[in-house]
Amino acid sequence: MKHRTKEAIVGYVFSLPIIITVLVFTIYPIITAFYYSVTDYQPLEARKFTYTFNPYESLEINTGILKEEAKDYTIDQMLEWFDPVTFVEIDVGVNLSDEDKESIRKNFDSLNLLSNYREGKLPTEIKISDFMMKYMKSDGERFAKYRPKFVGLDNFKQMFKDTYFYTSISNAFLYSIVVVPIQTLLAIILAVAANSKIRGKNLFKSIFFLPAITSSAALSMIFWLIYSKPGILNQVLLSLFGRFGFQPIDYLNEPGIALFAIMLMNIWSTAGYFMVTFLAGLQDIPSSIYEAAMIDGANGWQTFWKITMPLLRPQIVFVSIMGTIGCMQVFDQIYFLIKNLRNITISFYIYKNAFEYGRMGYASALAVVLFAIILALSLIQRKVVKEEY
Amino acid sequence: MAKKSSKKSWPVVISYIILIAYAIATLFPFTWALLVSLTPVTYTDADGNAHGVNIFDWPPNVKLFPRPSAFGAPLTFQNYKLIFEVVPLYGRWLLNTLIYAGLLTIGNLLLDALGGYAFARLKFPLKDMWFTLFLATMMVPGQVTLIPQYNMLVKYGLVNTYTGMFLPKLTNIFGLFLMRQFFLNFPKELEEAARIDGSGILRTYFTIVLPNAMPGVSALAIYTFLGAWNDFQWPLIIASRKEMYTLTVGLNFFKSSYYTYWQYMMAASIFMTIPMIIIFLSFQKQFIETGRAVAVKG
Repeated sequence: MKHRTKEAIVGYVFSLPIIITVLVFTIYPIITAFYYSVTDYQPLEARKFTYTFNPYESLEINTGILKEEAKDYTIDQMLEWFDPVTFVEIDVGVNLSDEDKESIRKNFDSLNLLSNYREGKLPTEIKISDFMMKYMKSDGERFAKYRPKFVGLDNFKQMFKDTYFYTSISNAFLYSIVVVPIQTLLAIILAVAANSKIRGKNLFKSIFFLPAITSSAALSMIFWLIYSKPGILNQVLLSLFGRFGFQPIDYLNEPGIALFAIMLMNIWSTAGYFMVTFLAGLQDIPSSIYEAAMIDGANGWQTFWKITMPLLRPQIVFVSIMGTIGCMQVFDQIYFLIKNLRNITISFYIYKNAFEYGRMGYASALAVVLFAIILALSLIQRKVVKEEY
Repeated sequence: MAKKSSKKSWPVVISYIILIAYAIATLFPFTWALLVSLTPVTYTDADGNAHGVNIFDWPPNVKLFPRPSAFGAPLTFQNYKLIFEVVPLYGRWLLNTLIYAGLLTIGNLLLDALGGYAFARLKFPLKDMWFTLFLATMMVPGQVTLIPQYNMLVKYGLVNTYTGMFLPKLTNIFGLFLMRQFFLNFPKELEEAARIDGSGILRTYFTIVLPNAMPGVSALAIYTFLGAWNDFQWPLIIASRKEMYTLTVGLNFFKSSYYTYWQYMMAASIFMTIPMIIIFLSFQKQFIETGRAVAVKG
């Protein structure tokens, strides 16, 4: 075999696992999410065909004829008492649309089912989808697989009327607008400080990295303690400003404050992590540039804005884009610490719709909007930062 | 001369002030949580009288001598034992977290490294197309794929199973890029020498490339383990049975059921952070280097 062919085969063998998992667990779900976003996908409805039931019990209820006595009746008598639509809808328990009912009236094989019942040939437990496939003369596929109703752009239109959509999306924006610039600037300041001739550089780096390796769950709990009304933050502020009339604040339950309290926690937990990025960038700047600036008489302030900042551009782009993407999607802290729907962010609202309200179609539409926003923001950021320098 | 040296040193002084201030700000919440976690919920004094301990007492009355104590009670490690008794499932959650993080790390190590090598070194049809596709998916937020992934696992009965938890996370595009970047910077001469000696691509990969790729591989392993250990949203969704919780999801259970026992909650929070601190301190270089590699890529 030629080396090139061999290389191509090995190349595919090596990359196939990742190609397959990405196709199955990322690409396919992305396409599905876009599809869901134009439907009324409801998870409980989706599972209705996978439930199992006992056909005997359902038939006893519908016809009023007990299983043991079925032989005493003729098929015609039984047919008279049997209504396939109410049977499927009420006794089996499947929500039916008008089209479904029409199809059942036309295609349901009542004769076959009742004679099986009479002869005791039914299973005592069967999946609804299998049952319907068996007793529909045609069109049984309608009940084999859940098809969410196509609603066009209704989900997107609904957002305009949904106050929680506005609240959660503007909170996510507010969150990013406050957190990203502050954490980036703080990270740069820390990096510049750590890049000067000081001892214990590695110790500082390790300490600043600590929040980044701690789970947001644990951090949320720690800050819950600190932010609680009788907690240490209030105690310290009270001893400092109590004489000026400071009153303890219930930070996490105060709608006007809660989100800002979480922003502060986020800045605190990520600035040190991003500092490492900037420090790496600073170390790549040749010292000869600074020496030249010093000879030209530039002061520290000028050097910082005219040399350091422009040369850190790649890192600033990276950190601000990563920061924005992270902030627009903030979830964990909101889940743990926010008790007021006025302070939720969009990703939490998506979660709530999908997994608590059972509105996955609407949740997917929200996710698509979030995707569009993040995409637009990344592109704008890339462009703006490029033009500035 | 004296003037010059003072001119040189003031930025250093300011730097120290900034760094020390921020170091204190960083360490303080952890220290406070640690202190609370070491405070007993109740304590019996020398006369045999039991006292409740209020961790909101102010001032906290921290003493190191004669015995370390705070809030009027001697400090103890017993809360770290008690969390396993107060919440009997806590041990199970620890095991789940270990399994989840362990499986994810192994999967990503093997598959991301393989893929990374293929994309860095081998020529195969449609390579650029796949690469662009992967790059594009990185822009898609997790909320988009979450719901379909969940439904897919429901359909195949994989909710509340380890398989369902780790399968969608078995590979990671970020890990692929990291490994690709690593292999691109890897000296080609080694592989070429092996090839001239008649070693095939497969053998070269396993005997020459992989053993020499340990710095990259270990960085990936650490990041994957850390990410999985601290992961919250995915386990929250996929584990609805208490037996399948991970430590992060379980922490929320502490909060709702034992909200008055701050000591236990802080013990649980610190407990799950300690392994990460140990890993971080042992592999500091890889952490910082990875952060750097990612930044350069961006």
